Amino acid sequence: MRVLGLETTCDETAAAVVRLSEDGHGEILANEVLSQIAEHAAYGGVVPEIAARAHVEALDHLIDRALAQARLTLDDLDGIAAAAGPGLIGGVIVGLTTAKTLALVARKPLLAVNHLEGHALTARLTDAIGFPYLLLLVSGGHTQLIAVKGVGDYVRLGTTIDDAIGEAFDKVAKLLGLPYPGGPEVERAAEGGDPDRFALPRPMLGRPDANFSLAGLKTALRLEAERIAPLTDADVADLCASFQAAVVDVVVDRTRVGLRLFREAAGHPTAVVVAGGVAANQTMRRALQRLAAEAGLRLLAPPLPLCGDNGAIIAWAGIERLRLGLVDDMTVPARARWPLDAGRDEAGEKA
Amino acid sequence: MRILAIDTALGACAACIIDNGLGEPIAHESLIMDRGHAEALVPLLDRVAARVEGGFTSLDRVAVTVGPGSYTGMRVGIAAARAIGLACRIPVVGVTTLSALLAALVADDNRRLLAAAIDARHGQVYFQVIAPSGQTVVAPTLLKVRDAVRLLGAGPAALIGSGAAAVAAEAAGIDLAVHDTRPAPDIVWVARLGSVADPAHALPKPLYLRGPDARPQDQARLPRR
Repeated sequence: MRVLGLETTCDETAAAVVRLSEDGHGEILANEVLSQIAEHAAYGGVVPEIAARAHVEALDHLIDRALAQARLTLDDLDGIAAAAGPGLIGGVIVGLTTAKTLALVARKPLLAVNHLEGHALTARLTDAIGFPYLLLLVSGGHTQLIAVKGVGDYVRLGTTIDDAIGEAFDKVAKLLGLPYPGGPEVERAAEGGDPDRFALPRPMLGRPDANFSLAGLKTALRLEAERIAPLTDADVADLCASFQAAVVDVVVDRTRVGLRLFREAAGHPTAVVVAGGVAANQTMRRALQRLAAEAGLRLLAPPLPLCGDNGAIIAWAGIERLRLGLVDDMTVPARARWPLDAGRDEAGEKA
Repeated sequence: MRILAIDTALGACAACIIDNGLGEPIAHESLIMDRGHAEALVPLLDRVAARVEGGFTSLDRVAVTVGPGSYTGMRVGIAAARAIGLACRIPVVGVTTLSALLAALVADDNRRLLAAAIDARHGQVYFQVIAPSGQTVVAPTLLKVRDAVRLLGAGPAALIGSGAAAVAAEAAGIDLAVHDTRPAPDIVWVARLGSVADPAHALPKPLYLRGPDARPQDQARLPRR
């Protein structure tokens, strides 16, 4: 079984082909990603209209390249998958319309995948783990703890009530004059810094629910920085280290609570999985590794190219859905908002 | 040559298939709509292609309106057209909404300036003017309605498009004939223009005529020593 996966929900245009082998293993045959970082850098964040304009110019070329890389034609595929949301709607429409049209012309099943489901199922592509498991999804747009019980069977245990973690990293970088995207820059600056120099708050720490809040931490960092401005390189390093330490403490505490809630919702997890662009942060990975070891669980973090947005995770989610017969028709809409467990209330705008 | 034409850039979701350039369509469907193009287009393409023998595999070329118009609307059409081009390995050409509107006038009127005006909101129009010979007088541009009127001089001129009435209302004492104020070009003209377009130059790229409306921000940055 071979599926093409398209991803256009934010600032990466991506197309990939993934194959499901007879023994149930996933194999990435091609994974083409075109980042729009340069287009958005001047604005210090993703501009939706700029993103949409870039997607429509690039997507067909990326599909062509991915098929060539995989040495396949559209006829060889068993399905066409696209991220149908949640995300920036102008881009989502480009990807979904492209997938629908390819599916129509090549007479292949269409799979309208939830972008979050792509991240949620990645550990099954890379490590073939069984259900259920705890997913910590941390990116520029999402911060969630999810009990992954099966394909299409998700229980959201916690989410952010204000900023996403990656968004907070980007805003801190912007404040401190670091380049965009800010996450890797803050991490790099933090390497030489003193994480104890600034006493920043750990919002939500110890709360019995598994929700996140980043806005207060971000404000506290801004006040500390304003107090000592103009900033030296050492100040920036210490601010970044202190901020990162606070975020990691919060993430570990929230994930610990998430594990407790998981057991009530879904029993014993097979693993703790961290995914999304912020999962690339090594300090956070090490802290989560310790937490998982304490709980007697494996921590699985996808390789870095699969942490950020890409087509392979969409293609894999498409395979998981296709083999269960969960196929979509041509009228399926693009969605700006699309919680994984649609039945539950929205705790935060940025969820 | 068999060509499929697609238009979702303005107030319609439309497609047709034509054989040999100037003929009448052998399949045709046009739905008037302000929004909902993204959901409507692919099922519509399915119906139109099903009406011709050979369906998509019988096509030699795709033409698509590239704007100016609704950003999201034109991207829906362009994404679909480029996907068909990729799947069928055939050329895809872009046709501007303004030229498709003007083509209907060229066929009908040969003594006036011919102007297409598309309502761009906030008192503005997407605007293009050609001489009866077909020569461009005003290239596609975004203008205030009163500036568009100024460019028409003393006329006489024939006007077409969703902004035609607004331009005519602003123009006093000029000999203007409002030909048509339909919300979208005739899809048959998109196909005809597309069949004679040069694929090397008429690329299926959006014609926005307006920047993406974003300003660089660095006022939040703290001073560094």
